[in-house]
Amino acid sequence: MTTSARRSKRTEALEQRPVNLDGFVEEWPEVGMVAMDSPYDPEPGVRVEDGVIVELDGKPRAEFDFLDQFIADHAIDVDATEQAMAIPAVDIAHLLIDPRATRRDVLAVTRGLTPAKLLEVVKTMNVVEMMMALQKMRARRTPANQAHATSARDNPVQVAADAAEASLRGFRELETTLGVVRYAPLVAIALQVGAQAGTPGVLTQCALEEATELELGMRGITAYAETISVYGTEPVFCDGDDTPWSKAFLASAYASRGIKMRFTSGTGSEVQMGNAEGKSMLYLEIRCILVTKGAGVQGLQNGSISCIGVPGAVPAGIRAVLAENLIASMVDLECASGNDQSFSHSDMRRVARLLPQLLPGTDFVCSGYSSTPNYDNMFAGSNVDAEDYDDWNVLQRDLQVDGGLRHVPEAELLAVRNRAARALQGVFAHLGLPPITGREIEAVTYAHGSKDLPPRDVLEDLKAAQSVLDRGVTGLDIVKGLDAAGFTDMAHSLLAVLRQRVSGDLLHTSAILTPELETLSAVNDTNDYAGPGTGYRPSGARWEEMKRLRHVVSAQNPEREVG
Amino acid sequence: MADTGVSTRRTLRLDERGTAGPGSRTDEVVIGLSPAFGDFFTKTIVDIPHAEVLRELLAGIEEQGVHARVIRFRGGSDLAVIAHAAAKLSGSGIAVGVLSRGTTMIHQKDLVRLSNLELFPQAPLMDLDAFRKVGRNAARYAKGESPEPVPARNDFMARPRWQAKAALLHIKETEFVVPGADPVELDVRFQLADAG
Repeated sequence: MTTSARRSKRTEALEQRPVNLDGFVEEWPEVGMVAMDSPYDPEPGVRVEDGVIVELDGKPRAEFDFLDQFIADHAIDVDATEQAMAIPAVDIAHLLIDPRATRRDVLAVTRGLTPAKLLEVVKTMNVVEMMMALQKMRARRTPANQAHATSARDNPVQVAADAAEASLRGFRELETTLGVVRYAPLVAIALQVGAQAGTPGVLTQCALEEATELELGMRGITAYAETISVYGTEPVFCDGDDTPWSKAFLASAYASRGIKMRFTSGTGSEVQMGNAEGKSMLYLEIRCILVTKGAGVQGLQNGSISCIGVPGAVPAGIRAVLAENLIASMVDLECASGNDQSFSHSDMRRVARLLPQLLPGTDFVCSGYSSTPNYDNMFAGSNVDAEDYDDWNVLQRDLQVDGGLRHVPEAELLAVRNRAARALQGVFAHLGLPPITGREIEAVTYAHGSKDLPPRDVLEDLKAAQSVLDRGVTGLDIVKGLDAAGFTDMAHSLLAVLRQRVSGDLLHTSAILTPELETLSAVNDTNDYAGPGTGYRPSGARWEEMKRLRHVVSAQNPEREVG
Repeated sequence: MADTGVSTRRTLRLDERGTAGPGSRTDEVVIGLSPAFGDFFTKTIVDIPHAEVLRELLAGIEEQGVHARVIRFRGGSDLAVIAHAAAKLSGSGIAVGVLSRGTTMIHQKDLVRLSNLELFPQAPLMDLDAFRKVGRNAARYAKGESPEPVPARNDFMARPRWQAKAALLHIKETEFVVPGADPVELDVRFQLADAG
């Protein structure tokens, strides 16, 4: 295009639209820069001899890479596979959207499908059909949501207050991560303390290098783990010094202590790391999903996650992202379904990317809604942040869909933010960690983000963080600290969370704790969707709660507002 | 997005001097360059010339009175691998790893590879000042000090704008990987380009 040509006023207006700041690239199937429709993906097929899969998607066993081998030997049900593979892909897609076929009917088929076949099935479906299928295939009947609570300054006081607010707003899982990883022990303690100040039973995790993440979990400083990444090609797996077996071993380390965990994967990671072996993003993601299944892990965080800018930049990328959530659910895994990373400059596009998970409902609609303003989000920003809370509540109310959140009056929010900070002050004092001042507590009660807070002595905090590790501080020490500081109810909640690892109930698929500290999972809250009038629909007290917003004109007295 | 304004034009000349060995001086920081840095690629994802990136890193190290050594790591394009390999060759155990697109990490030889001292994951935010500070902090770690980490910058809109381009850049960089290749020692020379 010539630059000297006179430009249309309309073009000028369109050039100013935020969507034009997003990055878009052409497809390049040879290196895997293609969402789900590549000429280089294999044709589906399976051959079984003497109870062993000897050919998978056109590849003989002698040529298997370690993912093929792991999937063939551990993920695919060898007794079901030949029969399942004989069903045409489009018939399996029909089964997925037919409400008269139960979730169990579908699982009987999907347990025998190969990666290429699963890809072929979803390729016959448009996004509306995928949403219908996801509504039925989600493991837990009641949807839930997960938040990020992080700080650009790794300020533990801020993390505690935001965790408390997020917990009160309805999130059932909270995760944090760090700018400076050495801060982790203090911030993980803050997250766990803050989480119990909102509603009881909220589970927390800290995304770190895997050995440290495991150590914090084993010590009870975190309650679950999520940042165990798997990849769809051998070279990318090896870059992380890993194999499917090492990941399975790590998973069993968590299980041995009764700690909930899920794997993480997502479209785009292999092409992002330059080793997609010329396969489509979705095909490689399906291999990750089946590795997760084969490792015996209960769930998966997927939906591209930190690579969302890659599928987001190619045609049909967001359809592929929905497909990966659906396939995780189709193989009976808990799905924490993304929507957790900054995705677009365009508000319109942010919502469009969100609806395919929000409308049908998933186990966790966001695997990280930012409970802070995005400038504080140390996962590099989420698709939705603290400034979107009211919009989210309105979407739930407009459409009568349950995204797991509720409007909370300001006075209640201030109370729990303040309480969380005071409780953390007590725990820090009990553990001999650097003091939290009254000025900090006052500031964080009213703060929006880290810019509103006095700075902490970072070097003292980092020394103290190391001492937490050196002294072997555990979750029980935090319980004792809460109790000693007079926060007996929070001590009780946290102890209840820790006790879950003894009963092992959180190892069930899609397990969360209710505010009454009871386990809600796919076992005792099985998704029973069977068409109109069935399954989970917000009603009763929950629907009344969802009707409340910041500003609603009273019908009794239109000069006033309720809520 | 980083300020990419650079007033003068410098060119970078990197001459190979054979396999890089472990350093003997305890007052050195090793800078580990990715396979295509200052070679196939000449600038970061936001168009900062590699000559300026390296100059700032070196200046940051040298202003602390610490010696700098530059190596190229061809064995992989993963930043943690590059930075950790460089740290293991560093007499002080401290190294800076940098990818062509600008992603940077300070590493220490005794940490596990996937950990680090400081990580700057968002290449589009790396400007000249940030590279200078990275060099400075690496030198201070090498002297046994505990510097305040370089403030982490965070632009949550870098991903939607740059991630797919970053993927293309990484694919290209990975094409220059020679599996198992030894790190090589580099002679670094800056030349002012003729303004005409």
